[in-house]
Amino acid sequence: MQNAKRVATGVPGLDAMLNGGFLPRTANLVEGAPGTGKSTLGMQYIYEGARRDEPGIILTFEEFPEQYYRDAAAFGWDFRELERQNKLKIIMSSPEVTKADLENVEGTIQNLITEMGAQRMLIDSITHFEGLRQDPMELRKLMYSYLNALKRQDLTIILTRESAHLFGEGIEGQLDASIQFLADTYVMLRYVEIESVVQRAIVVLKMRGSAHDNTIRRYEINTQGLKVLQPFEGQEGVLSGAPTRMSDSFIKAFVRR
Amino acid sequence: MRREDLTARVMKDMDPELFDFVTTYVDSFIKWDLLRFFHENPHTMDTSENIARYAGRTAEDVQKELQALARQGLLVETPVENMRVYMLKADPAVRMRLQKFVEATQDREFRRKVIYHMVRH
Repeated sequence: MQNAKRVATGVPGLDAMLNGGFLPRTANLVEGAPGTGKSTLGMQYIYEGARRDEPGIILTFEEFPEQYYRDAAAFGWDFRELERQNKLKIIMSSPEVTKADLENVEGTIQNLITEMGAQRMLIDSITHFEGLRQDPMELRKLMYSYLNALKRQDLTIILTRESAHLFGEGIEGQLDASIQFLADTYVMLRYVEIESVVQRAIVVLKMRGSAHDNTIRRYEINTQGLKVLQPFEGQEGVLSGAPTRMSDSFIKAFVRR
Repeated sequence: MRREDLTARVMKDMDPELFDFVTTYVDSFIKWDLLRFFHENPHTMDTSENIARYAGRTAEDVQKELQALARQGLLVETPVENMRVYMLKADPAVRMRLQKFVEATQDREFRRKVIYHMVRH
């Protein structure tokens, strides 16, 4: 499995964390608070695909395609031109319609995937599925079936999910546990406060069937998209949002009061 | 002067293709909104309720106009499970005509004529 073909994200530093990229035909979750760059990472992934002649589809719920054209243009990615070249399609729809469409033998999305030869998909975001079912088990079954329908099309998928908490962990919605279990890879984006400065942290918490980098790394969003930087060093509790110096923890743990 | 004569006089210098598009499809502000919406978001596939939400209009009004645009061949209405889903027709000729209309609406004088046509309709 380690030597299997990889699907590169195009995010400098992230592919190394993923041992070369995502495994093909997998569903990969990117979770983070608003503004952490989930959609940017997803767009970068789709753009990288177009560059490699691996067409992609962006499935958006409630976010207007116009927004993607504009946001992508800010990074120098001409999504309108990619649409003209049939390397990208941005579909605006709703979870209930796409679910029903995917279950059809000759559904619109399936036809589009076949016609384009799409290999990549960004679903932005799966948070909207929470309204479809009240029962968490039912929701999990629904998501399982939905993701399998997409994997059946040979797609490698990024799913974004919003975290309501800007810093650290907290109580999440009912989709939380299910989707973390169903996703093949779980990438978490976090804000962290270090010495009164807000920084961004990325960690790969899970990658089914592959080794991956376990370190928590800094990342930045620059004019070319996301770029993963060096690991946080000398800090612990980074994912809590308010890390402490390891030396402070050592003193707390070992020095008698 | 009869109503038809006056409308024809105001629209007489309009490009024939645009004239045909306007008189065929654009007879209400909601339709105008929907045409612009599908031009800007050409791969939308959704129910009338959701499209109404995106357009900031009432579901009843939008449903009526979506059905009319589907009957007129600009949109496609597809049954998906127990829902009716609307999409812009994939035909490149249809999309080109829509693009030409939306581009023409950048011109104030053209907009004035379209409004005049809708009011007289």
